[in-house]
Amino acid sequence: MKGSIRIDQERCKGCALCIEFCPKKAISLSGTLNLKGYFIASFKDGGECTGCATCAVMCPEVAIEVFKN
Amino acid sequence: MKRLMSGNAALGEAAVLAGCTCYFGYPITPQNELTEYMAKRVPEAGGVFIQSESEIAAINMVLGASVAGARAMTSSSSPGMSLKQEGISYLAADELPAVVVDMVRGGPGMGNISPAQSDYFQATRGGGHGDYKTIVLAPGSVQELTEIVPLAFDLADKYRNPVIILGDGMLGQMMEPVSFDNIKPPKEYPKDYILTGAKGRPSRMVRSLLFDTKEEEEHNWKLFRKYQRMEQNEVRYDTFLLDDAEMVVIAYGIGARIAKGAIKRLRQENLKVGMIRPITLWPFPAKIIKEAAQNGAEFFVFEMSAGQMVEDVKLALEGKGHIHFYGRPGGVIPTPIELFRVISRHYYQSRRGKK
Repeated sequence: MKGSIRIDQERCKGCALCIEFCPKKAISLSGTLNLKGYFIASFKDGGECTGCATCAVMCPEVAIEVFKN
Repeated sequence: MKRLMSGNAALGEAAVLAGCTCYFGYPITPQNELTEYMAKRVPEAGGVFIQSESEIAAINMVLGASVAGARAMTSSSSPGMSLKQEGISYLAADELPAVVVDMVRGGPGMGNISPAQSDYFQATRGGGHGDYKTIVLAPGSVQELTEIVPLAFDLADKYRNPVIILGDGMLGQMMEPVSFDNIKPPKEYPKDYILTGAKGRPSRMVRSLLFDTKEEEEHNWKLFRKYQRMEQNEVRYDTFLLDDAEMVVIAYGIGARIAKGAIKRLRQENLKVGMIRPITLWPFPAKIIKEAAQNGAEFFVFEMSAGQMVEDVKLALEGKGHIHFYGRPGGVIPTPIELFRVISRHYYQSRRGKK
C-alpha cells in the first residue's frame, strides 16, 4: 500500500467527515467507544490507502496522521 | 478576525467577552469543551471558575453569584439539566438573572451523547416546579451562538429571569470560523436587589418562601405580567424563502440547518418550500406562523425528537392550517437528502389532495 493512517482515538468525536471524504472509502465507524463515549473512526480491514491525506485535512479535531510509504 | 473554534469553546469566549465573571460547571459530554475552555479563560479574565461536585451544586453556585450581582453561567447536557431544574425554579422565583446552557443529547434517561432536540418541553415549559417561564434561545450555527450569548446575558439582566440557551451535541462539537468583533462590553443594569452588605442602607431580602397565599398569588401575577412583556417584546425568528412558499418548514437550531440544505434542493426542483426558524422557542413566534397560514401555506415541522415543538405550532395555528411532521429521536442525525425526500413526498401528496 502507498500509505497508511493513524487515528488518535481520544481526539476522534465520530463525526464521520473522514469517512465521507475518503476517495477509497477505506475508513468506517467502529463499534469501539473512546473515553468520552464516541464511536471512533477506524481504518477498514483490507482497505486501500493512497496516502492522499484528504482524511487528515477534513478532520476538524486534527486526529489523523498520514504516512507515505 | 475569524477563528476556527468548536461551538462549545466559542460559547465560552463569547460569554467572557459579554461580561460573564462566574462560571460553575460539572463535566458532561457533549459540552465538556465549554467547561474546559472556561477553566482556562475565566481566571485569565479575572473571574471565578469552579468545577462543582455536581450539577445541582453548580446551579446553586450560580444563584449565589447572581444574588451578589455577578453575571453567572452554568452549562450541562440533558441528564444534568434535569438535575438543575430545582435551581432554575428558585432563580425564577427569586427573580435573579442567570444563563444556563443545555447542549442536548439523546434521551430519556442516560441516553447517549449524540445530538438531539428532545429537551424542548423541559426548556420551554419552565422545566422545574411552579408557575414560571424561562426565555429559550436556539442558535443554528456557531457564529449565531456567539451572538446569542451576549443577548442571553442582556435579557437575563433586563427581565431578571433565567435564560436558557438550547443547543445540541452537534452545535457544541462542530468547528466553524467565528468572529467575536461584534460583541460589545456589557451594559450597566440597575442592580437594586443584590445583597452586598447593608451598611448605610436598609437590609434587603431575596427569598422565594412566601407562606402567605395572597402574597404568593401576587408574586405569581407579577411574574406573569413579566412573562407577558417578554411575549410582546422578545419574539425572534428567521425566515428563508417564505414569500411564495406553499409548504413552510418549521425547524429550529441544527434541525433548521439540515432543513435549509433540503430546501435548497427542493427549490432546484421548483417546489415552493420555505422555512420559519424560531430563534426564541419561548416566547414562541406564533404570529408569523399564523400569518403564513392565512396565505394558504401548509406546514412541515421537523425536529430531532418524536414531536415536541409541533404542539406549539398547533397552538399557534389554532386549528387553521394543515401540519405535516417528521422527527428522528434518539440522537440520529438525518441528512438533507433524507429530509428532501420526505418533504417532497408530503408536498406532492398534499398537492394531489388539493386537486
